[in-house]
Amino acid sequence: MKDDYLWDGSGEPDPEIQKLEAALGRYRHNQPAPAFDRLREIRPVEQRRAFFSLRWLPQLGAVAVIVLLAAAVFLVLRSRPSGNAGPSWDVARLEGTPRVGWHAIGDKSGPGKLGIGQTLVTDNFSRATITLDETGRVEVDPSSRLRLVTNGPGRKRLSLERGTIHATIWAPPGEFVVDTPSAVAVDLGCVYTLQVDDSGAGLLRTTMGWVGFKLKGHESFIPAGAICQTRPGIGPGTPYLEDASASFRDALSKFDFSSTTAAERTALLGVILADARKGDVLTLWHLLSRVSDPDRPGVYDRLAALAPPPAVVTRQGILGLDRSMLDAWWNSLGFGDIYLWRTYEHNWSQRPPKVN
Amino acid sequence: MTVWPVTESREHDSLVSAARDGDRVAFGRLYARYARMVHGILLARVPPPEVDDLVQEVFLSALRQLHALRDSSRFGAWLGTITRNLANDYFRKAIPVSKLTEPVTENHAKTGASDHAAEQEAKAILAVIRALPESYREPLMLRLVEGMTGPEIAARTGLTHGSVRVNLCRGMQLLREKLGETSA
Repeated sequence: MKDDYLWDGSGEPDPEIQKLEAALGRYRHNQPAPAFDRLREIRPVEQRRAFFSLRWLPQLGAVAVIVLLAAAVFLVLRSRPSGNAGPSWDVARLEGTPRVGWHAIGDKSGPGKLGIGQTLVTDNFSRATITLDETGRVEVDPSSRLRLVTNGPGRKRLSLERGTIHATIWAPPGEFVVDTPSAVAVDLGCVYTLQVDDSGAGLLRTTMGWVGFKLKGHESFIPAGAICQTRPGIGPGTPYLEDASASFRDALSKFDFSSTTAAERTALLGVILADARKGDVLTLWHLLSRVSDPDRPGVYDRLAALAPPPAVVTRQGILGLDRSMLDAWWNSLGFGDIYLWRTYEHNWSQRPPKVN
Repeated sequence: MTVWPVTESREHDSLVSAARDGDRVAFGRLYARYARMVHGILLARVPPPEVDDLVQEVFLSALRQLHALRDSSRFGAWLGTITRNLANDYFRKAIPVSKLTEPVTENHAKTGASDHAAEQEAKAILAVIRALPESYREPLMLRLVEGMTGPEIAARTGLTHGSVRVNLCRGMQLLREKLGETSA
């Protein structure tokens, strides 16, 4: 039949339908399932109705007393630091009318909650904060979408679909993670800003402590004062200090994200090495494992000139990408102990980001 | 009602039963099966930026009410009803929100002009579908946006193959006419 393609995709393809499918595919469902197994017990609607039915009326007074006592205990416990993970983050409005789902968080409605699977949305004029006592505080800028993915003890995971967040995290390193469409940010005890634009490209800027940024084994460590960009399908680029020279940054951006030939990459690397200053050892250390084998000796020599390696590190070992030697050299640079990353990052399985 | 192959039907019913008994993993598998249907039904009714959040709301609502579903084989139709009700609720409570985002400030690749044109075209087609009669809107969304086949649409929504096929064909015919008028 002539409508077979429309019916089940069989038969001769209809070019007009194919065109519509291609155009509309961007709206297709692509959200992962919420962690239903982590949701708190949900009381069925019928049970709640039964609670208010007349046959319970005589017990209502006793129940009310119990509820009041429970509420008092809850409020007392809530005001003290607790090791238990709560089911929801507190949402407070800073400006405008942020929303969780379609529930507006405003002056009159008071603070709200962000539960697993729910998304905090801010429009062009809204800002909000989400706070969890034992984890930290996240300020959400206008035009952002932030979803709570998991919230178990020691494992807090948000997904920044777009927009900007400023995170101040006091949870132990490795417990707080933010997914973006192009990389996963693992907190290692820090204050940082994370931006994601509509294309899924991101930018992470660390103010205090350091952050691990990774995608499919491609990892970057971003200490205070450093920036790292990400691109969908590529992952995190090479981090650099905010005060790096313009030519250094430009060459690095092209090296990380532009489609270039081997010769062009070598030329870009030449600019990076020539412009590198003492502080740029952060970038050079990352480049050791990102350049081709023939280019690696040049990076080694420049890094060794700016920051001589510790005694346990040999040229041969670094050129062979010996991980313990790379880690030892990193630790000698003064940006943070890589042990934190090696210990905690494996706790987080990577969610393959999906971008339309 | 659509008749499924016996093994699929049994597996489906046992998933619904397990979910009703509190098995959250089973409910997660139902989400995987039905999320596209819910998404497509919502897309036929509410603004696209709201759809993802409402999908979550629909499933949370279903989880709360699942104990009330007596016939497991009607899960799809029942979920469809919850979805349409929630979409209607949306219009009673919604606050309009602009969805623009500032670009990332470092010198990153920006969305190209061709992508912008494609996005505008997709928006225009979506608007035309959303203006079609309700009986055509849903099957077209499920087929053209969610990529479901006619038999899948029938299986998930609980409608007969015949009615889905008729609505798909008539809807597509109407859509071609409307798009022709738009481009003329």
